[in-house]
Amino acid sequence: MPMADTLSPSSPPRQKSIVEAHGISKQFGDLEVLTDIDFSLAPSEVVCVIGPSGSGKSTLLRCLAFLEPYDHGSVYIDGQLLGYEDRNGKRVRTSEKRVDDVRAPVGMVFQHFHLWPHRTALENVTEALRLVNGLSRQEADTEGMAMLEQVGLSDRAGHFPESLSGGQKQRVAIARALAMKPRVMFFDEPTSALDPELVGEVLDVMKKLAADGMTMVIVTHEMGFAANVANRVIFMDQGRVVESGPPATLFRQPKSERLQQFLNTWRERNID
Amino acid sequence: MLEILLNHYPVLLEGLATTLVVSLSAIALGLVLGVLLAFGLTSRHGLVRWPCGLYRSFWRGTPILLQLLLVYYLLPEVGIEIAPISAAILTLTLNTAAFQSEIFRSGISHIPAGQIEAARMAGISSWQTRRRIIMPQVFRLTLPPLTNEIITILKNSSLISVIAVTELMRVSEQIASRTFQPLETYLAAALLYLAVNLVLALLSAHLERRMTGGLATD
Ligand SMILES: Nc1ncnc2c1ncn2[C@@H]1O[C@H](COP(=O)(O)OP(=O)(O)O)[C@@H](O)[C@H]1O
Ligand SMILES: [Mg+2]
Repeated sequence: MPMADTLSPSSPPRQKSIVEAHGISKQFGDLEVLTDIDFSLAPSEVVCVIGPSGSGKSTLLRCLAFLEPYDHGSVYIDGQLLGYEDRNGKRVRTSEKRVDDVRAPVGMVFQHFHLWPHRTALENVTEALRLVNGLSRQEADTEGMAMLEQVGLSDRAGHFPESLSGGQKQRVAIARALAMKPRVMFFDEPTSALDPELVGEVLDVMKKLAADGMTMVIVTHEMGFAANVANRVIFMDQGRVVESGPPATLFRQPKSERLQQFLNTWRERNID
Repeated sequence: MLEILLNHYPVLLEGLATTLVVSLSAIALGLVLGVLLAFGLTSRHGLVRWPCGLYRSFWRGTPILLQLLLVYYLLPEVGIEIAPISAAILTLTLNTAAFQSEIFRSGISHIPAGQIEAARMAGISSWQTRRRIIMPQVFRLTLPPLTNEIITILKNSSLISVIAVTELMRVSEQIASRTFQPLETYLAAALLYLAVNLVLALLSAHLERRMTGGLATD
Protein backbone atom coordinates (compact mmCIF):
# COMPACT_ATOMS: atom_id res chain seq x y z
CA MET A 1 0.00 0.00 0.00
CA PRO A 2 1.43 3.37 -0.93
CA MET A 3 1.68 5.81 1.93
CA ALA A 4 -0.81 8.60 1.87
CA ASP A 5 1.18 11.65 0.90
CA THR A 6 1.17 15.03 2.54
CA LEU A 7 -1.80 17.30 2.31
CA SER A 8 -2.53 18.46 -1.15
CA PRO A 9 -0.59 21.62 -1.83
CA SER A 10 -3.59 23.13 -3.55
CA SER A 11 -5.19 26.02 -1.74
CA PRO A 12 -8.18 25.27 0.48
CA PRO A 13 -11.15 24.44 -1.71
CA ARG A 14 -13.16 27.22 -3.17
CA GLN A 15 -16.24 27.50 -1.07
CA LYS A 16 -19.50 26.76 -2.78
CA SER A 17 -18.64 23.16 -3.70
CA ILE A 18 -20.19 20.63 -1.39
CA VAL A 19 -17.83 17.90 -2.45
CA GLU A 20 -14.42 18.53 -3.88
CA ALA A 21 -11.66 16.09 -4.70
CA HIS A 22 -8.13 16.86 -5.86
CA GLY A 23 -5.92 14.28 -7.50
CA ILE A 24 -7.26 11.27 -5.67
CA SER A 25 -5.91 7.86 -6.48
CA LYS A 26 -6.53 4.43 -5.08
CA GLN A 27 -4.84 1.08 -5.39
CA PHE A 28 -6.00 -2.37 -4.37
CA GLY A 29 -2.73 -4.24 -3.99
CA ASP A 30 -0.95 -3.75 -7.30
CA LEU A 31 -4.10 -2.76 -9.11
CA GLU A 32 -4.43 0.97 -9.66
CA VAL A 33 -8.18 1.54 -9.60
CA LEU A 34 -8.33 5.34 -9.52
CA THR A 35 -5.73 7.61 -11.05
CA ASP A 36 -5.47 11.30 -10.27
CA ILE A 37 -9.15 12.19 -10.17
CA ASP A 38 -10.37 15.73 -9.75
CA PHE A 39 -14.00 16.27 -8.94
CA SER A 40 -16.21 19.01 -7.66
CA LEU A 41 -19.87 19.29 -7.03
CA ALA A 42 -21.83 22.50 -6.67
CA PRO A 43 -25.02 22.80 -4.62
CA SER A 44 -28.07 21.39 -6.41
CA GLU A 45 -25.92 19.90 -9.11
CA VAL A 46 -26.80 16.44 -10.38
CA VAL A 47 -23.84 14.51 -11.74
CA CYS A 48 -24.14 11.10 -13.35
CA VAL A 49 -21.09 8.87 -13.55
CA ILE A 50 -21.05 6.38 -16.39
CA GLY A 51 -18.49 3.94 -17.67
CA PRO A 52 -17.82 0.28 -18.29
CA SER A 53 -17.92 -2.21 -15.45
CA GLY A 54 -14.69 -2.23 -13.49
CA SER A 55 -13.75 1.31 -14.50
CA GLY A 56 -13.70 2.49 -10.87
CA LYS A 57 -17.09 4.21 -10.55
CA SER A 58 -18.03 2.53 -7.28
CA THR A 59 -14.54 3.00 -5.90
CA LEU A 60 -14.69 6.71 -6.71
CA LEU A 61 -17.99 7.09 -4.88
CA ARG A 62 -16.72 5.04 -1.95
CA CYS A 63 -13.54 7.13 -1.73
CA LEU A 64 -15.59 10.34 -1.83
CA ALA A 65 -17.51 8.93 1.16
CA PHE A 66 -14.37 7.45 2.75
CA LEU A 67 -15.89 3.98 2.82
CA GLU A 68 -12.61 3.22 1.07
CA PRO A 69 -9.66 5.31 2.21
CA TYR A 70 -8.06 6.99 -0.80
CA ASP A 71 -4.29 6.74 -1.08
CA HIS A 72 -3.33 10.13 -2.48
CA GLY A 73 -5.00 13.47 -2.99
CA SER A 74 -7.72 15.06 -0.91
CA VAL A 75 -11.46 14.96 -0.57
CA TYR A 76 -13.24 17.90 0.99
CA ILE A 77 -16.83 17.82 2.19
CA ASP A 78 -18.17 21.30 2.79
CA GLY A 79 -14.61 22.56 2.86
CA GLN A 80 -13.37 20.02 5.41
CA LEU A 81 -10.74 17.43 4.60
CA LEU A 82 -12.24 13.96 4.85
CA GLY A 83 -10.46 11.06 6.50
CA TYR A 84 -7.00 12.54 7.04
CA GLU A 85 -5.42 15.31 8.99
CA ASP A 86 -2.04 16.93 9.04
CA ARG A 87 -0.06 16.11 12.18
CA ASN A 88 3.47 17.54 12.37
CA GLY A 89 3.66 17.71 8.61
CA LYS A 90 2.65 14.07 8.30
CA ARG A 91 -0.65 12.91 7.04
CA VAL A 92 -2.54 10.60 9.38
CA ARG A 93 -5.98 9.05 9.44
CA THR A 94 -8.49 10.90 11.56
CA SER A 95 -10.63 9.18 14.15
CA GLU A 96 -13.75 7.36 13.12
CA LYS A 97 -15.77 10.01 14.94
CA ARG A 98 -14.15 12.79 12.92
CA VAL A 99 -14.89 10.91 9.69
CA ASP A 100 -18.52 10.63 10.76
CA ASP A 101 -18.67 14.33 11.52
CA VAL A 102 -17.10 15.48 8.25
CA ARG A 103 -19.24 13.23 6.07
CA ALA A 104 -22.45 13.87 7.99
CA PRO A 105 -23.79 15.90 5.03
CA VAL A 106 -23.48 12.84 2.75
CA GLY A 107 -26.22 10.25 2.33
CA MET A 108 -25.58 7.04 0.44
CA VAL A 109 -27.74 4.57 -1.46
CA PHE A 110 -26.26 1.22 -2.48
CA GLN A 111 -26.93 -1.09 -5.39
CA HIS A 112 -28.01 -3.89 -3.06
CA PHE A 113 -30.01 -1.67 -0.67
CA HIS A 114 -28.38 -3.05 2.48
CA LEU A 115 -31.46 -2.57 4.59
CA TRP A 116 -31.25 -4.01 8.10
CA PRO A 117 -33.38 -7.15 7.84
CA HIS A 118 -34.33 -7.32 11.53
CA ARG A 119 -35.87 -3.85 11.40
CA THR A 120 -39.14 -2.87 9.76
CA ALA A 121 -39.20 -0.32 6.96
CA LEU A 122 -40.02 2.43 9.45
CA GLU A 123 -37.36 1.26 11.91
CA ASN A 124 -34.77 1.27 9.13
CA VAL A 125 -35.58 4.94 8.64
CA THR A 126 -35.79 5.89 12.33
CA GLU A 127 -32.78 3.96 13.64
CA ALA A 128 -30.23 6.72 13.05
CA LEU A 129 -32.71 9.43 14.00
CA ARG A 130 -32.86 7.87 17.43
CA LEU A 131 -29.26 6.73 17.83
CA VAL A 132 -27.50 9.68 16.21
CA ASN A 133 -29.91 12.58 16.51
CA GLY A 134 -31.29 11.43 19.85
CA LEU A 135 -34.95 11.77 18.92
CA SER A 136 -37.54 10.05 21.08
CA ARG A 137 -39.34 7.09 19.57
CA GLN A 138 -42.40 9.23 18.92
CA GLU A 139 -40.48 12.08 17.29
CA ALA A 140 -38.49 9.63 15.21
CA ASP A 141 -41.63 7.78 14.09
CA THR A 142 -43.29 11.01 12.98
CA GLU A 143 -40.17 12.03 11.07
CA GLY A 144 -39.74 8.52 9.66
CA MET A 145 -43.33 8.35 8.43
CA ALA A 146 -42.82 11.66 6.64
CA MET A 147 -39.76 10.19 4.89
CA LEU A 148 -41.63 7.03 3.90
CA GLU A 149 -44.42 9.26 2.62
CA GLN A 150 -41.92 11.08 0.46
CA VAL A 151 -40.94 7.83 -1.28
CA GLY A 152 -44.56 6.64 -1.44
CA LEU A 153 -44.27 3.85 1.09
CA SER A 154 -46.16 4.96 4.19
CA ASP A 155 -48.39 1.91 3.80
CA ARG A 156 -45.38 -0.39 4.16
CA ALA A 157 -44.05 1.12 7.40
CA GLY A 158 -44.49 -2.04 9.47
CA HIS A 159 -43.15 -4.45 6.87
CA PHE A 160 -39.83 -6.20 7.20
CA PRO A 161 -37.48 -5.84 4.22
CA GLU A 162 -37.93 -9.51 3.26
CA SER A 163 -41.54 -8.83 2.37
CA LEU A 164 -40.80 -5.81 0.17
CA SER A 165 -40.08 -5.80 -3.55
CA GLY A 166 -36.66 -4.65 -4.74
CA GLY A 167 -38.04 -1.29 -5.79
CA GLN A 168 -39.69 -0.84 -2.41
CA LYS A 169 -36.49 -1.82 -0.61
CA GLN A 170 -34.53 0.74 -2.57
CA ARG A 171 -37.08 3.43 -1.81
CA VAL A 172 -36.87 2.60 1.91
CA ALA A 173 -33.07 2.86 1.59
CA ILE A 174 -33.49 6.31 0.02
CA ALA A 175 -35.85 7.34 2.83
CA ARG A 176 -33.34 6.05 5.37
CA ALA A 177 -30.63 8.24 3.87
CA LEU A 178 -32.92 11.27 3.53
CA ALA A 179 -33.93 11.04 7.18
CA MET A 180 -30.51 12.32 8.19
CA LYS A 181 -31.11 15.48 6.14
CA PRO A 182 -28.11 15.09 3.86
CA ARG A 183 -26.95 17.98 1.71
CA VAL A 184 -25.71 15.59 -0.93
CA MET A 185 -26.76 12.07 -1.91
CA PHE A 186 -24.51 9.43 -3.48
CA PHE A 187 -26.19 6.65 -5.46
CA ASP A 188 -24.21 3.62 -6.60
CA GLU A 189 -26.18 1.94 -9.40
CA PRO A 190 -29.42 2.24 -7.45
CA THR A 191 -31.48 0.41 -10.07
CA SER A 192 -29.02 -2.20 -11.33
CA ALA A 193 -30.25 -4.92 -8.98
CA LEU A 194 -33.91 -4.35 -9.82
CA ASP A 195 -36.26 -6.17 -12.15
CA PRO A 196 -36.84 -3.89 -15.17
CA GLU A 197 -40.43 -3.14 -14.22
CA LEU A 198 -39.33 -1.79 -10.83
CA VAL A 199 -36.67 0.60 -12.12
CA GLY A 200 -39.14 3.37 -12.89
CA GLU A 201 -40.48 3.81 -9.36
CA VAL A 202 -36.96 4.35 -8.01
CA LEU A 203 -35.94 6.72 -10.80
CA ASP A 204 -39.14 8.70 -10.22
CA VAL A 205 -38.19 9.25 -6.58
CA MET A 206 -34.73 10.39 -7.68
CA LYS A 207 -36.16 12.75 -10.29
CA LYS A 208 -38.34 14.31 -7.63
CA LEU A 209 -35.31 14.76 -5.39
CA ALA A 210 -33.41 16.43 -8.21
CA ALA A 211 -36.36 18.73 -8.91
CA ASP A 212 -36.42 19.68 -5.22
CA GLY A 213 -32.82 20.81 -5.52
CA MET A 214 -30.99 17.87 -3.92
CA THR A 215 -27.31 17.66 -4.84
CA MET A 216 -26.59 14.20 -6.19
CA VAL A 217 -23.87 11.99 -7.60
CA ILE A 218 -25.33 8.99 -9.37
CA VAL A 219 -23.43 6.07 -10.79
CA THR A 220 -25.80 4.60 -13.33
CA HIS A 221 -26.30 2.68 -16.53
CA GLU A 222 -29.63 4.43 -17.13
CA MET A 223 -28.56 6.68 -20.01
CA GLY A 224 -32.05 8.06 -20.52
CA PHE A 225 -32.19 9.14 -16.91
CA ALA A 226 -28.71 10.67 -17.16
CA ALA A 227 -29.68 12.55 -20.32
CA ASN A 228 -32.81 13.97 -18.72
CA VAL A 229 -31.80 14.65 -15.15
CA ALA A 230 -28.04 15.22 -14.99
CA ASN A 231 -26.49 18.66 -15.23
CA ARG A 232 -23.20 16.98 -15.96
CA VAL A 233 -22.11 13.51 -16.99
CA ILE A 234 -18.73 12.03 -16.20
CA PHE A 235 -17.41 9.17 -18.29
CA MET A 236 -14.84 6.99 -16.55
CA ASP A 237 -12.61 4.31 -17.98
CA GLN A 238 -9.73 2.44 -16.35
CA GLY A 239 -9.75 4.59 -13.27
CA ARG A 240 -9.64 7.94 -15.05
CA VAL A 241 -12.15 10.57 -15.97
CA VAL A 242 -12.01 10.42 -19.74
CA GLU A 243 -14.65 12.99 -20.56
CA SER A 244 -17.17 15.12 -18.75
CA GLY A 245 -19.72 17.73 -19.67
CA PRO A 246 -23.41 18.42 -20.11
CA PRO A 247 -25.28 15.26 -21.16
CA ALA A 248 -26.35 16.72 -24.50
CA THR A 249 -22.75 17.34 -25.53
CA LEU A 250 -21.41 14.12 -24.11
CA PHE A 251 -24.03 11.85 -25.62
CA ARG A 252 -24.30 13.62 -29.01
CA GLN A 253 -20.70 14.58 -29.60
CA PRO A 254 -18.48 12.19 -27.72
CA LYS A 255 -14.89 13.30 -28.25
CA SER A 256 -12.98 10.24 -27.17
CA GLU A 257 -13.03 6.97 -28.99
CA ARG A 258 -13.64 5.09 -25.77
CA LEU A 259 -16.83 6.98 -25.04
CA GLN A 260 -18.02 6.49 -28.61
CA GLN A 261 -17.40 2.78 -28.23
CA PHE A 262 -19.13 2.69 -24.87
CA LEU A 263 -22.20 4.49 -26.24
CA ASN A 264 -22.33 2.25 -29.32
CA THR A 265 -22.21 -0.88 -27.20
CA TRP A 266 -24.96 0.54 -25.04
CA ARG A 267 -27.15 1.36 -28.07
CA GLU A 268 -26.68 -2.10 -29.56
CA ARG A 269 -27.70 -3.72 -26.29
CA ASN A 270 -30.72 -1.53 -25.86
CA ILE A 271 -32.18 -1.73 -29.33
CA ASP A 272 -32.97 -5.43 -29.55
CA MET B 1 -34.25 -46.23 39.65
CA LEU B 2 -37.57 -44.68 40.64
CA GLU B 3 -36.84 -45.83 44.13
CA ILE B 4 -33.55 -43.94 44.13
CA LEU B 5 -35.31 -40.85 42.84
CA LEU B 6 -38.01 -41.12 45.48
CA ASN B 7 -35.70 -41.88 48.38
CA HIS B 8 -32.98 -39.41 47.57
CA TYR B 9 -34.72 -36.62 45.71
CA PRO B 10 -33.82 -33.87 48.22
CA VAL B 11 -30.06 -34.36 47.77
CA LEU B 12 -30.40 -35.09 44.07
CA LEU B 13 -32.33 -31.89 43.54
CA GLU B 14 -29.81 -29.99 45.60
CA GLY B 15 -27.07 -31.40 43.39
CA LEU B 16 -29.07 -30.49 40.32
CA ALA B 17 -29.55 -26.96 41.68
CA THR B 18 -25.79 -26.58 42.07
CA THR B 19 -25.27 -27.92 38.55
CA LEU B 20 -27.75 -25.37 37.23
CA VAL B 21 -26.32 -22.47 39.21
CA VAL B 22 -22.77 -23.22 38.09
CA SER B 23 -23.67 -23.89 34.45
CA LEU B 24 -26.07 -21.03 33.98
CA SER B 25 -23.78 -18.52 35.68
CA ALA B 26 -20.90 -19.67 33.50
CA ILE B 27 -23.06 -19.46 30.39
CA ALA B 28 -24.29 -15.95 31.19
CA LEU B 29 -20.85 -14.62 32.16
CA GLY B 30 -19.31 -16.51 29.24
CA LEU B 31 -21.77 -14.87 26.89
CA VAL B 32 -20.65 -11.39 27.90
CA LEU B 33 -16.99 -12.34 27.64
CA GLY B 34 -17.63 -14.31 24.46
CA VAL B 35 -19.26 -11.33 22.73
CA LEU B 36 -16.37 -9.06 23.72
CA LEU B 37 -13.86 -11.65 22.49
CA ALA B 38 -15.76 -11.96 19.22
CA PHE B 39 -15.45 -8.19 18.75
CA GLY B 40 -11.74 -8.63 19.41
CA LEU B 41 -11.49 -11.49 16.93
CA THR B 42 -13.16 -9.38 14.24
CA SER B 43 -11.22 -6.21 15.04
CA ARG B 44 -9.35 -4.36 12.31
CA HIS B 45 -6.34 -4.15 14.58
CA GLY B 46 -3.96 -7.10 14.70
CA LEU B 47 -2.88 -6.09 18.19
CA VAL B 48 -6.41 -6.68 19.42
CA ARG B 49 -7.06 -9.69 17.22
CA TRP B 50 -4.15 -11.94 18.00
CA PRO B 51 -4.34 -12.03 21.83
CA CYS B 52 -8.01 -12.91 21.46
CA GLY B 53 -7.07 -15.66 19.02
CA LEU B 54 -4.47 -16.96 21.45
CA TYR B 55 -7.01 -17.03 24.25
CA ARG B 56 -9.48 -18.89 22.08
CA SER B 57 -6.86 -21.45 21.05
CA PHE B 58 -5.84 -22.17 24.64
CA TRP B 59 -9.32 -22.66 26.05
CA ARG B 60 -10.58 -24.64 23.07
CA GLY B 61 -7.41 -26.67 22.76
CA THR B 62 -6.96 -28.06 26.25
CA PRO B 63 -9.17 -30.53 28.16
CA ILE B 64 -11.68 -28.93 30.46
CA LEU B 65 -10.65 -31.23 33.30
CA LEU B 66 -7.13 -29.88 33.06
CA GLN B 67 -8.45 -26.32 32.98
CA LEU B 68 -10.42 -26.94 36.16
CA LEU B 69 -7.41 -28.30 37.99
CA LEU B 70 -5.17 -25.52 36.71
CA VAL B 71 -7.52 -22.78 37.88
CA TYR B 72 -8.15 -24.56 41.17
CA TYR B 73 -4.48 -24.99 42.01
CA LEU B 74 -3.12 -21.88 40.32
CA LEU B 75 -5.23 -19.28 42.07
CA PRO B 76 -4.03 -20.10 45.62
CA GLU B 77 -0.45 -20.04 44.27
CA VAL B 78 -0.90 -16.39 43.31
CA GLY B 79 -2.58 -15.62 46.61
CA ILE B 80 -6.20 -15.78 45.59
CA GLU B 81 -8.32 -17.90 47.87
CA ILE B 82 -11.59 -18.84 46.26
CA ALA B 83 -14.25 -21.40 47.02
CA PRO B 84 -14.36 -24.50 44.83
CA ILE B 85 -17.72 -23.49 43.44
CA SER B 86 -16.34 -20.09 42.38
CA ALA B 87 -13.32 -21.75 40.81
CA ALA B 88 -15.74 -24.01 38.94
CA ILE B 89 -17.84 -21.11 37.68
CA LEU B 90 -14.69 -19.20 36.70
CA THR B 91 -13.25 -22.10 34.74
CA LEU B 92 -16.45 -22.92 32.92
CA THR B 93 -16.92 -19.22 32.13
CA LEU B 94 -13.43 -18.89 30.66
CA ASN B 95 -13.96 -22.12 28.74
CA THR B 96 -17.38 -21.38 27.28
CA ALA B 97 -16.32 -17.80 26.46
CA ALA B 98 -13.78 -19.22 24.03
CA PHE B 99 -16.34 -21.47 22.35
CA GLN B 100 -19.01 -18.77 22.32
CA SER B 101 -16.58 -16.22 20.90
CA GLU B 102 -16.00 -18.49 17.92
CA ILE B 103 -19.75 -18.96 17.46
CA PHE B 104 -20.30 -15.19 17.55
CA ARG B 105 -17.28 -14.48 15.34
CA SER B 106 -18.71 -16.76 12.70
CA GLY B 107 -22.13 -15.12 13.09
CA ILE B 108 -20.66 -11.63 12.77
CA SER B 109 -18.81 -12.63 9.60
CA HIS B 110 -22.16 -13.57 8.05
CA ILE B 111 -23.58 -10.05 8.36
CA PRO B 112 -23.13 -8.43 4.94
CA ALA B 113 -20.53 -5.65 5.04
CA GLY B 114 -22.96 -3.36 3.21
CA GLN B 115 -25.31 -3.31 6.19
CA ILE B 116 -22.49 -2.02 8.34
CA GLU B 117 -21.49 0.55 5.72
CA ALA B 118 -25.09 1.73 5.57
CA ALA B 119 -24.98 2.23 9.34
CA ARG B 120 -21.68 4.12 9.11
CA MET B 121 -23.08 6.37 6.40
CA ALA B 122 -26.08 7.14 8.61
CA GLY B 123 -23.62 8.33 11.25
CA ILE B 124 -24.22 5.41 13.61
CA SER B 125 -21.04 4.76 15.60
CA SER B 126 -19.33 1.41 15.31
CA TRP B 127 -20.21 0.55 18.90
CA GLN B 128 -23.89 1.33 18.30
CA THR B 129 -23.70 -0.59 15.04
CA ARG B 130 -22.52 -3.65 16.93
CA ARG B 131 -25.21 -3.30 19.55
CA ARG B 132 -28.18 -2.43 17.37
CA ILE B 133 -27.44 -3.77 13.90
CA ILE B 134 -24.99 -6.66 14.16
CA MET B 135 -25.61 -8.48 17.45
CA PRO B 136 -29.42 -8.72 17.28
CA GLN B 137 -28.99 -10.57 14.00
CA VAL B 138 -26.06 -12.61 15.26
CA PHE B 139 -28.03 -13.88 18.25
CA ARG B 140 -30.76 -15.10 15.92
CA LEU B 141 -28.31 -16.67 13.49
CA THR B 142 -26.34 -18.42 16.19
CA LEU B 143 -29.16 -19.68 18.37
CA PRO B 144 -28.74 -23.34 17.33
CA PRO B 145 -24.96 -23.55 17.93
CA LEU B 146 -25.41 -21.48 21.08
CA THR B 147 -27.98 -23.98 22.37
CA ASN B 148 -25.48 -26.75 21.69
CA GLU B 149 -22.85 -24.92 23.68
CA ILE B 150 -25.21 -24.43 26.62
CA ILE B 151 -25.99 -28.14 26.63
CA THR B 152 -22.28 -28.95 26.40
CA ILE B 153 -21.51 -26.76 29.40
CA LEU B 154 -24.31 -28.37 31.40
CA LYS B 155 -22.84 -31.77 30.67
CA ASN B 156 -19.26 -30.64 31.24
CA SER B 157 -20.25 -29.25 34.62
CA SER B 158 -20.27 -32.87 35.79
CA LEU B 159 -16.46 -32.62 35.73
CA ILE B 160 -16.35 -30.03 38.49
CA SER B 161 -16.91 -32.80 41.02
CA VAL B 162 -13.13 -33.31 40.81
CA ILE B 163 -12.59 -30.09 42.70
CA ALA B 164 -15.11 -31.18 45.34
CA VAL B 165 -18.16 -29.23 44.27
CA THR B 166 -21.22 -31.24 45.25
CA GLU B 167 -23.23 -30.95 42.08
CA LEU B 168 -25.45 -33.58 40.56
CA MET B 169 -22.63 -35.90 39.51
CA ARG B 170 -20.93 -35.90 42.88
CA VAL B 171 -24.21 -36.35 44.72
CA SER B 172 -24.93 -39.37 42.52
CA GLU B 173 -21.52 -40.85 43.32
CA GLN B 174 -22.22 -40.44 47.02
CA ILE B 175 -25.63 -42.06 46.76
CA ALA B 176 -24.25 -44.87 44.63
CA SER B 177 -21.59 -45.73 47.17
CA ARG B 178 -24.03 -45.58 50.04
CA THR B 179 -26.83 -47.60 48.48
CA PHE B 180 -24.66 -50.02 46.48
CA GLN B 181 -27.00 -49.34 43.53
CA PRO B 182 -24.68 -47.53 41.11
CA LEU B 183 -26.60 -48.41 37.95
CA GLU B 184 -29.95 -47.18 39.24
CA THR B 185 -28.38 -44.07 40.70
CA TYR B 186 -26.53 -43.08 37.55
CA LEU B 187 -29.61 -43.75 35.45
CA ALA B 188 -31.57 -41.42 37.71
CA ALA B 189 -28.86 -38.77 37.29
CA ALA B 190 -28.90 -39.24 33.52
CA LEU B 191 -32.64 -38.74 33.57
CA LEU B 192 -32.23 -35.43 35.39
CA TYR B 193 -29.56 -34.18 32.94
CA LEU B 194 -31.75 -35.21 30.04
CA ALA B 195 -34.79 -33.47 31.48
CA VAL B 196 -32.93 -30.17 31.87
CA ASN B 197 -31.45 -30.37 28.38
CA LEU B 198 -34.82 -31.22 26.91
CA VAL B 199 -36.30 -28.10 28.49
CA LEU B 200 -33.40 -26.06 27.08
CA ALA B 201 -33.81 -27.49 23.62
CA LEU B 202 -37.55 -26.81 23.63
CA LEU B 203 -36.97 -23.27 24.86
CA SER B 204 -34.46 -22.68 22.10
CA ALA B 205 -36.74 -24.11 19.41
CA HIS B 206 -39.53 -21.89 20.68
CA LEU B 207 -37.31 -18.82 20.58
CA GLU B 208 -36.14 -19.67 17.10
CA ARG B 209 -39.69 -19.95 15.81
CA ARG B 210 -40.61 -16.64 17.37
CA MET B 211 -37.63 -14.85 15.87
CA THR B 212 -37.97 -15.85 12.23
CA GLY B 213 -39.51 -12.49 11.28
CA GLY B 214 -37.07 -10.25 9.46
CA LEU B 215 -34.08 -12.47 8.99
CA ALA B 216 -33.17 -12.41 5.35
CA THR B 217 -29.51 -11.64 4.86
CA ASP B 218 -29.94 -9.09 2.13
N1 LIG C 1 -12.21 -4.22 -2.29
C1 LIG C 1 -11.56 -4.47 -3.44
N2 LIG C 1 -10.43 -5.21 -3.45
C2 LIG C 1 -9.76 -5.45 -4.59
N3 LIG C 1 -10.12 -5.00 -5.80
C3 LIG C 1 -11.25 -4.24 -5.87
C4 LIG C 1 -12.02 -3.95 -4.69
N4 LIG C 1 -13.06 -3.18 -5.08
C5 LIG C 1 -12.95 -3.02 -6.41
N5 LIG C 1 -11.87 -3.65 -6.88
C6 LIG C 1 -11.41 -3.65 -8.29
O1 LIG C 1 -11.31 -2.31 -8.70
C7 LIG C 1 -11.75 -2.14 -10.02
C8 LIG C 1 -12.84 -1.11 -10.08
O2 LIG C 1 -13.97 -1.59 -9.40
P1 LIG C 1 -15.29 -0.73 -9.21
O3 LIG C 1 -14.94 0.58 -8.62
O4 LIG C 1 -16.24 -1.58 -8.48
O5 LIG C 1 -15.74 -0.52 -10.70
P2 LIG C 1 -17.20 -0.15 -11.26
O6 LIG C 1 -18.04 0.30 -10.14
O7 LIG C 1 -16.93 0.91 -12.27
O8 LIG C 1 -17.72 -1.39 -11.90
C9 LIG C 1 -12.19 -3.51 -10.49
O9 LIG C 1 -11.13 -4.07 -11.22
C10 LIG C 1 -12.44 -4.26 -9.21
O10 LIG C 1 -12.20 -5.62 -9.41
MG1 LIG D 1 -19.81 -0.52 -9.37
